[in-house]
Amino acid sequence: MRFAELHDDLRAVARDALAGASPLVAGGDPAPVDPAVLAGTGWLGLEVPEDLGGAGATFAETAVVLEELGRAAAASHFLGAVLAVGALRLVEPSPGRDALLAGVAAGQIAAALALPTGAGDGMAGGPPFRVDRDGGDARVVGRATFVPDAVAADRLLLVAHDPAVGPVLVDVTPGAGVVVEPTPVVDPTRSFAEVAAGGAAADDGRVWRFAEDPRGLLARGALAVALDSLGLAEAALDATVAYASVRTQFGRPIGSFQAVKHACADTRVELALARQLVLHAVDAVAGGATGADDAVSMAKAYATEAAVAATGRAVQLHGGIGYTWEHGLHAYLKRAALNRSLFGSPAGHRARLARRYGAR
Amino acid sequence: MSEPGDFRDQVRTWCREHVPAGWREAQTGVGEDGFVAFQQAWFRELRDAGWAVPHWPAEWGGGMPVAEQVVLYQELAAHDAPRLVLAFVSIHHAAATLLGAGTDEQRRRHLPAILDGEIWCQGFSEPEAGSDLASLRTTARREGDRYVVNGQKLWASGARHADRCLLLARTDPSAPKHKGISYFLLDMRSPGLDVRPIRNAIGDSHFCEVFLDDVEIPATDLIGPENDGWRIAQKTLSAERGLTMLELAERLAGGFRWLLDDCARPGAGGARPIDDPVVRDRLAAFETELTGVRALCRDLVERSEAGRAGPADASIVKLAYSELLQRLTGFAADVGGLDAHARAARPLSSGWESGAWVVDYVGSWEWTIPGGSSEIQRTIIGERGLGLPREPSVP
Repeated sequence: MRFAELHDDLRAVARDALAGASPLVAGGDPAPVDPAVLAGTGWLGLEVPEDLGGAGATFAETAVVLEELGRAAAASHFLGAVLAVGALRLVEPSPGRDALLAGVAAGQIAAALALPTGAGDGMAGGPPFRVDRDGGDARVVGRATFVPDAVAADRLLLVAHDPAVGPVLVDVTPGAGVVVEPTPVVDPTRSFAEVAAGGAAADDGRVWRFAEDPRGLLARGALAVALDSLGLAEAALDATVAYASVRTQFGRPIGSFQAVKHACADTRVELALARQLVLHAVDAVAGGATGADDAVSMAKAYATEAAVAATGRAVQLHGGIGYTWEHGLHAYLKRAALNRSLFGSPAGHRARLARRYGAR
Repeated sequence: MSEPGDFRDQVRTWCREHVPAGWREAQTGVGEDGFVAFQQAWFRELRDAGWAVPHWPAEWGGGMPVAEQVVLYQELAAHDAPRLVLAFVSIHHAAATLLGAGTDEQRRRHLPAILDGEIWCQGFSEPEAGSDLASLRTTARREGDRYVVNGQKLWASGARHADRCLLLARTDPSAPKHKGISYFLLDMRSPGLDVRPIRNAIGDSHFCEVFLDDVEIPATDLIGPENDGWRIAQKTLSAERGLTMLELAERLAGGFRWLLDDCARPGAGGARPIDDPVVRDRLAAFETELTGVRALCRDLVERSEAGRAGPADASIVKLAYSELLQRLTGFAADVGGLDAHARAARPLSSGWESGAWVVDYVGSWEWTIPGGSSEIQRTIIGERGLGLPREPSVP
């Protein structure tokens, strides 16, 4: 099943709804996507079961929206929601979990997931939080940096180790012993915060045991970012082709010069390859295939690097206008560079892949 | 794409029984006659198994589903089978041209002959018509029921052994350059032909110059309408690219496995390259890119089959493959150190990555120059794929 062929409608709706959010249209200080759009389109509930108000779809559908949000370089809390829903789907069902999933799907609750976003293997040393039951009441302790969309979250989901049961998801409300400290970044379209829990109460009904290995969430995050990079790089290429076709110098459209044309062709080739790697990884993740982590590492490493190259070339080929704040192209370059580092660097993912060579 | 597991087993079993043991050693440093005999024997083996022309229509001896062709090429590569080098133009370009533009009579005359071992070459390029192929000067003048051809062709691979040649020649000198070219099925035994081999950068002599001096071609050997040759050649060449590139990409995956093996052997200082983090990073980058190129080839095959290939898709695949081949063999030559330079010969009938990495690296320009150089491919991708404005043409 190739998602690119099955989701034309979803894509068309998303492209239409998000077009105005792009910094290329809105300028260098874009407003976030109206949360009502994310809720009204049903995107937040795509992977939420139908009996909880969702669409009961798979990551393949979420992938379409992720790519389109990247295409618009849109500021939104969708990444936070995608990670939260992914985590909630991995824990055992319970009334509390179900209510939260339903709230996220309906757009009534903004949730963020606190897990290590800096490295591809960020949970190799265990989850970033732990549940401490020494004093009788369960309390959660730990810290995670660069948590996407935590600043505006109503609820925070902490991936924690519970000595009693193993890996758990702890649902906490910001403020009650949990400090959310915004981390401003160069990219104006993304929002991050450091989440620190210094002994917040872990209520019984809000500690949920993982039914599946939570490390899969890192692959989910990495692939979400790869999709974003693919979309934003395609948009940067489209903008460059359009500009080079009308901008005239030396009496000719600059796109008729080989130096410009060939640079665009190189982007086209790299993105064609990136798309194949990303599609393959989406198929693997949506279908729960073995080896999905390898496919994700290839997609993340290649697509995020290709997107930095593509947006860099886009700025270069736009000339001076592309370097202005007002034009908005800089937001694409910044987001591409951020995506490269988010959920594991390309070198980190390649080191992961290379471990498979070790047995020789 | 579905995975025809039974068919994979069938190919694997066949390969174990039929791929000649030790062929690489036997074909290293072999003479021209030994190469031709080996190629013909291997072609017959594949043909008898029904696998020499899987991409042809069923009525002509092919008809294999695309999913199975992918498996066939994957397994032939994985079992390090010889490549069909000599028959390449016959089974791909010649067949595509006959099927795409030939008459029933022309197909009946040549397709079964190709299965019987008829060898074809390609007479496209000329000394003054390389990247600007449409400026070719070889002329074909109609005289009654035949054409009389004069001119010179260059880079006709395998022309010394060819029975037939796909020939482009100008039939209307007064028409715009793309509109005055016709496409012929030239008999290489015709009087007036002189074929001279050219030694290439790695010492092989498969490229030839072909001189045509009042060579007569029967009008029945014109393919398609007169003056429609350029369009036909463009169409049939790109139509073939998916599967031929798929085979080559699968071969390159085999080459990557050899590279891993080479990197796991201790080098001059006793250290294994594979333990070096820089080498590991490059290897993982190559594996990633290779995975992408293989997927791109499969995607092109599937979309060509469904009639949904874009106008620059074949160029994207050719550029991606050839530049990856060049960088991968270049890296292998680098990591192989001086020892790699001491492997001065590669087996004929191998893929473009034989493991004699320095020779492979130098030989990789045979992919970035012919068949539309990388620069031409980028222009095609820019203009036909992205719709960028054309370069103003010189009057």
